Amino acid sequence: MTEDNFEEFLKKAAQSYNAPPARAPREDMWRAIQTHRAAGPRVVYGGGSTIPESSVRRFGSKIWLGAAAAAVLFLATGVGIGRWTASSNTQGSVAIVNPPKTGSNASSTTEPSGTVPDGSVGASNPGQNIARGAAASTSSGVARSGGSQQTGLTGGRNGTQVAAGEGSPNSTPASAYQMAAVRHLSEAEALLTSFRTRSATDQQMDAQLGSWARDLLSNTRLLLDSPVANDPQRRPLLEDLELVLIQIVQLSPGSTPQDREMIEKTLRQDHVMTRLRTAIPAGPQRGS
Amino acid sequence: MGLVAYESRSSVNDIQLIARVVAGDAAAERELYETYVDRIYRLTFRLAGDDELARDFTQATFIRAFEKIGSFRGESSLSTWIHSIGVSVSLNGLRKTKRLRTREAPMEEGLTVGALPVEAEPDLKERLARAIDSLSDKYRTVFVMHDVEGYTHEEISGTLNIPVGTSKSHLFQARSKLRVALADFAPEWVS
Repeated sequence: MTEDNFEEFLKKAAQSYNAPPARAPREDMWRAIQTHRAAGPRVVYGGGSTIPESSVRRFGSKIWLGAAAAAVLFLATGVGIGRWTASSNTQGSVAIVNPPKTGSNASSTTEPSGTVPDGSVGASNPGQNIARGAAASTSSGVARSGGSQQTGLTGGRNGTQVAAGEGSPNSTPASAYQMAAVRHLSEAEALLTSFRTRSATDQQMDAQLGSWARDLLSNTRLLLDSPVANDPQRRPLLEDLELVLIQIVQLSPGSTPQDREMIEKTLRQDHVMTRLRTAIPAGPQRGS
Repeated sequence: MGLVAYESRSSVNDIQLIARVVAGDAAAERELYETYVDRIYRLTFRLAGDDELARDFTQATFIRAFEKIGSFRGESSLSTWIHSIGVSVSLNGLRKTKRLRTREAPMEEGLTVGALPVEAEPDLKERLARAIDSLSDKYRTVFVMHDVEGYTHEEISGTLNIPVGTSKSHLFQARSKLRVALADFAPEWVS
């Protein structure tokens, strides 16, 4: 009996929990949906997506293809190193020329026989950018016949790194670009959500958001210059995102509520959040 | 309330509507939207507790539904399918928002959450809201859908893709936790 009473009591009291308004803003939401859909190519029905390259299935298969290609390349490289070092042992010594431009690797050295050169390049260079990511590794200036090459790109304030291809013409840097784009958009979404849910009087938060937005702004520009921006839906999204990020960066501690309202207005009018959310595939690909 | 009114739409109607949407009939899209938008918005609002978020989630739900309706296999009703998209979009969005809010909250504020003396929160509604908010996603979702919005366990099961028994178990757990959280108000329901 007491249990029944409690259930009744709870149901009644819980009606006030997050009570929605009597009327849903149907027209506003419908307009937003239409705007979003009009911004991109017509919806492809039958399991397709507005962005074929970013659909979960196709994106997933690209990752598998990329992984398979990387595995084959890795194996081939290993065999190559093995053969090369074996032949080195028989020949006596191998001259290894280090890249002439960077500090510790600037001088040419001759190493004893059997030494395997370190082929990793720029994996933790914070200045390395997205647009250069896929191509930079081939121009490192390391003369060698073996060793794997890697390059990386920083994914924002957390410094997350994404492999951006193998530096070989046979690899698929496009999938790396897609991954970088998805991560970037995820982070941008996190920033904008944070911006919208912050306290209006929290100036310290504004400063932190500004710093975060500055990080994202540079990557947004780099993505705009990368093949990712060839996508007819993603380019306008990145451009709108860039505009919003600039506005957030320019928020000073003394900025007025009107400044913030302008950013909110841009977010609302361009439906940036909705477009961001739909541009980010659900599941592990989102990279968060 | 629940989905009952929507489930009563015959599956023939749903099939016709889906076929028209897939064929690119704009009026059918609007019809589908009008049919479900109120329920989706109510549910997302209950879960989010914020108009902006509820709008975002509702919009994202329909955008995804329109994108993927061609792959809808009819294994559940159209209503259940759309609701499951809505819940999924909302919970994913809320997880991010919650993470960010936690990150934003000053440390000392975080330490006092849940530790306030009872006298400081005499209001039942506020206490209840906090208690519901503190439930885990799975318990809170089932509780909100069942006890607040009136969905049946069968509907919740289809929407969340969990067995009916699990839905009942989650509701039981949620109520138990709320009973403990509201122990101070026991006289109100005992009487």
